[in-house]
Amino acid sequence: MFEVSQYTFVAAMVALAAGLALYLVNVFGPRGVRSLSFNTGGTQETDSFGSAMKTAGRYGSILSVNAFGFLTASIIARWIAAGHGPFSNMYEFSVAFAWGAMGIYLYFESQYHARSLALLVLPIALGILIYATTVPDDIQPLVPALQQDLLLTIHVAAAVVAYGAFAVGFGAAILFLVQRKKGMGWLPERTTLDEIGYRSVMIGFPMMALTIILGAIWADIAWGRYWSWDPKETAALVTLLMYGGYLHARVIRGWRGERSAYLLLLGFAATAFTYYGNYFLGGLHSYG
Amino acid sequence: MENVGSQARVPQRTYWETRTLGRMWHFFTSVRLALVLILAITAAVFAGTMLDQVAPSVRSDPAMYAQWLTRAEGRYGVFPTKVLEFFELFNVFHTLWFRLLIGLLTVNIIVCTLNRWKGIWRTVFPPRIRMTDAFFQHARFNAKYVMDERAEAAAATVKKGLKHARYRVSTEGEAGSVALYADRNRFSRFGTFISHLSLVLILAGTVVGGIWGRSDPEFIVPEGITRDVGLGTDLSVRLEHFTDEYYVEGPPKDFRSDLVILKNGEEVKRGTVRVNSPLGYGGMKFHQSFFGQTAVMTVKTKDGTSLYDGPVPLAWQTREGNRPVGSFTLGTENLEVWVIGPRSGESDPLVPAGEMRIEVYESSSGALRTATNLSQGTEQVVGGLNFTFGREGRFTGLSVVKDPGVNIIWVASALMIIGLVMLFYMPHRRLWASCKEMPDGKTEVRLAMTGQRDSQISAEFERVRQRVGKELRSRQAEEDQVQGGNHV
Repeated sequence: MFEVSQYTFVAAMVALAAGLALYLVNVFGPRGVRSLSFNTGGTQETDSFGSAMKTAGRYGSILSVNAFGFLTASIIARWIAAGHGPFSNMYEFSVAFAWGAMGIYLYFESQYHARSLALLVLPIALGILIYATTVPDDIQPLVPALQQDLLLTIHVAAAVVAYGAFAVGFGAAILFLVQRKKGMGWLPERTTLDEIGYRSVMIGFPMMALTIILGAIWADIAWGRYWSWDPKETAALVTLLMYGGYLHARVIRGWRGERSAYLLLLGFAATAFTYYGNYFLGGLHSYG
Repeated sequence: MENVGSQARVPQRTYWETRTLGRMWHFFTSVRLALVLILAITAAVFAGTMLDQVAPSVRSDPAMYAQWLTRAEGRYGVFPTKVLEFFELFNVFHTLWFRLLIGLLTVNIIVCTLNRWKGIWRTVFPPRIRMTDAFFQHARFNAKYVMDERAEAAAATVKKGLKHARYRVSTEGEAGSVALYADRNRFSRFGTFISHLSLVLILAGTVVGGIWGRSDPEFIVPEGITRDVGLGTDLSVRLEHFTDEYYVEGPPKDFRSDLVILKNGEEVKRGTVRVNSPLGYGGMKFHQSFFGQTAVMTVKTKDGTSLYDGPVPLAWQTREGNRPVGSFTLGTENLEVWVIGPRSGESDPLVPAGEMRIEVYESSSGALRTATNLSQGTEQVVGGLNFTFGREGRFTGLSVVKDPGVNIIWVASALMIIGLVMLFYMPHRRLWASCKEMPDGKTEVRLAMTGQRDSQISAEFERVRQRVGKELRSRQAEEDQVQGGNHV
């Protein structure tokens, strides 16, 4: 099972990289170029390019769905091999983070058909997977502090869904800021991007709150203290507060639009810090 | 959420509002203030995450704090440390200014809640049913149908469609004109209060815990020993046995303490405490926190009177050499004895394995009287007293906690999630319809929904419109059939 998990992990990376390449063609590929000569007439050339782009986008989506499927299989196989939820070290947590980002991205793609979002979210997922290859991936037995399979699983699951949603919100915010002038046809409209950003926080914010609450419940069981100002826990609070700020900014005149988009960027910086912070901050979450 | 902040800029104010209290009230009704406070608290928590934070126990001890600051100077530089120390940034979460920010946000939340309560209540009960024609024309989402029947009949059809779309419908009729109001998830309007007030409740939970909570994070019990818990209870704890197990690969597998809880000396509970399974009795909870070795020591005078007989937990580490160390006092002799064990994992030149080093100090002056190594099981005369290091044992370090505020925290947490789910996933949707008979006897049916330009609202309107449209069309088809029959 461990080997199955490794193979599907590699398959997911390959599918993700290929999918990303196709998304690039879909967004930046030749659009309505007439000067290149084909056998047929000019108008048809345009159509063939246009349809090639659409095809690239469609196959990009298919590959991404595949990558997500492989990643899911990899997590399940590792779960079976380890005998507990595979969320106990940096490798396992990274795979889960990439899984969350991809899952949430695919959900938004199905809702808004905004494939340009893939150009920002999928590299994040791919980057995390590449990072995962650099850390030890052997299955380690659980130390006493982590021997709470239910909480380990749902605490981390809620966290990766939140992180994934925030990654999508980050992508939407970047595109929102790039889409300054009207007429950037390759990007969705600003209102759509604003809505995607908001809806990503609608998913991420309650999930982040849930992550912190489950963490507090766990800390209360394990240590008798629901809150210890532990660095990772504080960083998670910073992230939650940042998105809480975003939710309020969005209804204040003068803060809608660009300023809110900048808050989404800051929020994702806080997310990345929370994800990686325990490595250089130490504290109760430093399990390896 | 409406922009209540802008209300502060309305020029006309009542007498009460112009008074100081009114101004303060207005100040706290602002969402803009909420945003500023949230961002300020975010920055403070971020500073508290990035900078080393001093433990409260160290902060309250001037000597230890000075030492801590010296180390901080080594890390951050002398001048930055002074600046950070001035703003209490090494102690963010316990400072007055941090509590002030939290306090202001709490007032902000409470005032905003009170301020918005009436408006939201009115949105929910009882809503305005009849709207103007202009409203139907200008609503962001609207639709229009014409039916060959009386207004009442058309309204009944619309109502049927709305009910199918799981809307709650109220009607208000007059001759030839029926107004309908439909909504769903109206109680979700209160989601915002639930999630915001849950924050106030969490704060209340921490205050309750702070006032009535008791804890000892370093409650040490050696094997075979019964110790009083203290903390205002009449409980005591005996450690029967401590076990630590390791995986073949090396990492720890299990730490467990077999405990007996006694009340006034009577056994009341018995159980095993593990890292993820505490033992509770009467609101008091015992958590596995740490463990270590003990040295069982006996001290006798020359004539055989026992001065000490029991395990000494080596719960600390020596600053140099990182050796486990513990101490006990011999009150009658005015002596304090430090027991130092061998460094683990390597051969120790100062304390070889199987030996314990003792250092005997005068309690009053702190002067070192004598120091020597004891081998296991042999009595040795040290400073005129007979010392024996009998054997090694274990102690458990428990975290003993009583926190009556914790249940408030869990209730508040549940409320927060419930409030957020209501707010984000069960939004209150409102729709108005009007059925008006026209001079030609036909009835004009109009539907309207207000809201942001948002694909979710637009999809919801589309769903309801299709549902109602389907009912109207099938009704019209029946009507046409009947009319067609008459013609033939």
